Amino acid sequence: MSPKACKNCGSSDIDVDHARGDAVCMGCGSVLEDNIIVSEVEFVETGGGGSSAVGQFVSSEEGARNPSFGDSHINGMGRESRAQTLQKAKQHINTLGHQLQMNQHCLNTAFNFYRMALGKHLTSGRKASHVIAACLYLVCRTEGTPHMLLDLSDIVQVNVYILGRTFLVLSRELCINAPAIDPCLYIPRFAQLLEFGEKNHDVAMTALRLVQRMKRDWMHTGRRPSGLCGAALLVAAHMHEFRRTVKEIVSVVKVCETTLRKRLTEFEDTPTSQLTIEEFMKVDLDQECDPPCFTAGLRKRKVQQVNGRVEHEIHGYEDEIDAELESSRPKLRGVYASYVKEDMCELTMEALLKLERRGLEEEEEEPEEQEEGGGGVPKRKGPSLESILGPMPTASTLGLSESIGTCIGDGKENGEEVKIKTALWMAENSDYLKEQREKAAKIAKEKELGIYKEKKPRGPSKKRDPIRASTADEAIGKMLEQKKISSKINYDVLKDLNIKPCPSPARSAESPIKKEPSAAAKLTGRSRHPARAPLSLSTPLSTLGKRSVGGRVVCSSVHANQGLSPEKIRRFIKHRITAHPGTLMRFYQFCPCKHIQRQVLV
Amino acid sequence: MDSSNDEALDIIITNVVATFRTRCHLNLRTIALEGINVIYKPDMGKVLMKLRKPKITASIWSSGKIICTGATSEDDAKVGARRLARTLQKLGFKVRFSAFKVVNVLAVCSMPFAIRLIDFTKKNRPIASYEPELHPAATYRIKHIKATIQVFSTGSITVTGPNVQNVASAVEQVYPLLFECQKPRCK
Repeated sequence: MSPKACKNCGSSDIDVDHARGDAVCMGCGSVLEDNIIVSEVEFVETGGGGSSAVGQFVSSEEGARNPSFGDSHINGMGRESRAQTLQKAKQHINTLGHQLQMNQHCLNTAFNFYRMALGKHLTSGRKASHVIAACLYLVCRTEGTPHMLLDLSDIVQVNVYILGRTFLVLSRELCINAPAIDPCLYIPRFAQLLEFGEKNHDVAMTALRLVQRMKRDWMHTGRRPSGLCGAALLVAAHMHEFRRTVKEIVSVVKVCETTLRKRLTEFEDTPTSQLTIEEFMKVDLDQECDPPCFTAGLRKRKVQQVNGRVEHEIHGYEDEIDAELESSRPKLRGVYASYVKEDMCELTMEALLKLERRGLEEEEEEPEEQEEGGGGVPKRKGPSLESILGPMPTASTLGLSESIGTCIGDGKENGEEVKIKTALWMAENSDYLKEQREKAAKIAKEKELGIYKEKKPRGPSKKRDPIRASTADEAIGKMLEQKKISSKINYDVLKDLNIKPCPSPARSAESPIKKEPSAAAKLTGRSRHPARAPLSLSTPLSTLGKRSVGGRVVCSSVHANQGLSPEKIRRFIKHRITAHPGTLMRFYQFCPCKHIQRQVLV
Repeated sequence: MDSSNDEALDIIITNVVATFRTRCHLNLRTIALEGINVIYKPDMGKVLMKLRKPKITASIWSSGKIICTGATSEDDAKVGARRLARTLQKLGFKVRFSAFKVVNVLAVCSMPFAIRLIDFTKKNRPIASYEPELHPAATYRIKHIKATIQVFSTGSITVTGPNVQNVASAVEQVYPLLFECQKPRCK
């Protein structure tokens, strides 16, 4: 405050000296001010001889107060919480905005939106990132920039619908009516991404026309604008002889292939699709179309009506056929009931037995029915002939031949159709029937002779009694006794192979006991460790049965130690075992061990 | 109730949601073990019981609060709720049927014409909102009846409201607005 008049004498002549910082009255000489604060730029000498201005940068925002003012670092309240929130929000908005390449004006508007939202308490209970993204999208919509909600959600890594919900709430509360999205807005952006080179503009214009046409044809209500753009761009690219695949467009436009194809089909349905390229560029058809889902709904309704009518007719025929059949076969209803109730897939023994007992009249009816009813009598009647005949051989082979005979002999019905059907069926299945008859005859003969054996399913191979031995050698010896020994193998040599004793007698005792039946398996059990590979060929060899040694040796070694090449094995075997190579080969080829790679030994 | 000239508009109620209380604690485990047609959801702390006769699915909480969904009319909902309470009674709980309230009614209606959604949204700016990126329908919220109408471009609309009366009046209210923005039928 520069004093205009002296308080003491009233004179207005006051000398203000900025250097000393005094204000002195010239009249009475009293010092009016002392230590006047000046605002002048001062320069200080920096190390190195240069000079720099004294001062600090202060941000222009409210609330961003400089904590260190002067020498004191008195940080009383710090910044206000509201100011801090706004500061953070501004930072986030700027970051996001720069990622989307939005200009500063938009970012400022977004910040304003955020401040409004903060004022209306819309940010509480929502993630800050959601609110910020929603603010940005609001700006995009009002400014009409070609940014999709999808882009934002990509950057923020949030579900689109969640962002959308926040956006809707914001726009409703702030009473901001964002104009509806126009697919035309997105076309230049997508066109650029698709890299059309010089013709970019032309393709974009064509695509624009296409989109406008689509709008006229009511394809765009309720659809994602990006889908329409994708379809339009695809067609435009093709029109200008650019080859853009659906996949490329999908990656740019971010809709799925099915959507794109659907849009293309819908566009195909419109009359515009019939025009040629030149015509399209010049002429604009006046005719508008109904929205595609509307037409689809109408079509469905029509189809349903037609179906209903057809179904009616079919039902009528069905009923007639049923009535006819049932009237002529009163006896069979019982059997039928039992059939119909049972599951088609699981024809049980009882059913098949019943089949035998009642004779195969039903079968006769089946084929006839199937062919008569045609499409109208689908699976309503009992199981098909094939499903009956399927499991038949096991149970009713005995009865079949006779039943068929009776079947053919006395047909229950005298209709022409019956005869034709039976003839057809017999012709088709003549081979099978012959087989069945022969089988039956054979079985009958065997029965007479008393030899007939009931075919049993193959049980597991016979198990020998487990050998109880204290050491491996004992066990092997016992096993040897049990199994027959090959005359072609020199067992003395094999015994020499026994170099090291097994580290765990329990294990070795175990393995011969457990894996007795197949020596190959035993060997594999013993030869888990590749280091003991040569061992695997040693002791057990002496105990192996006839013909099995060499081959099994080979098998097991190859199986257990894939490292050993057949060459090595062969040499080893030939050295240690005097076995005829032919035997070896023969055995090896027929080895039951399936894991082995069949490498030729020769 | 319809306000069209020639044809009658069928408002089909597809779902009625109602809640009631049994005024006693329910042991969910017992219900889950002994009840018929139940699904136990321990992670959510509730048991789902489905009834056949009025086709209803009920979520039962251990506090005794029950939500019934899937009924086709308000009376149906009440009958179903009562039946449910009876089932719980038979299981041995001292159930008292109280505080029955229909919470939400969902109805579907089909207009004989297609609708221009963008026009419709523009005309009814703050009340209607249309976001094609998110949902293909325009949402129209009537605040004083507390009803929400979703308008599709094919002309079918779905209305949700607290009771059937509200739903009917909502349809009546919205019909003239839709009629204005209809799309003339061609082809």
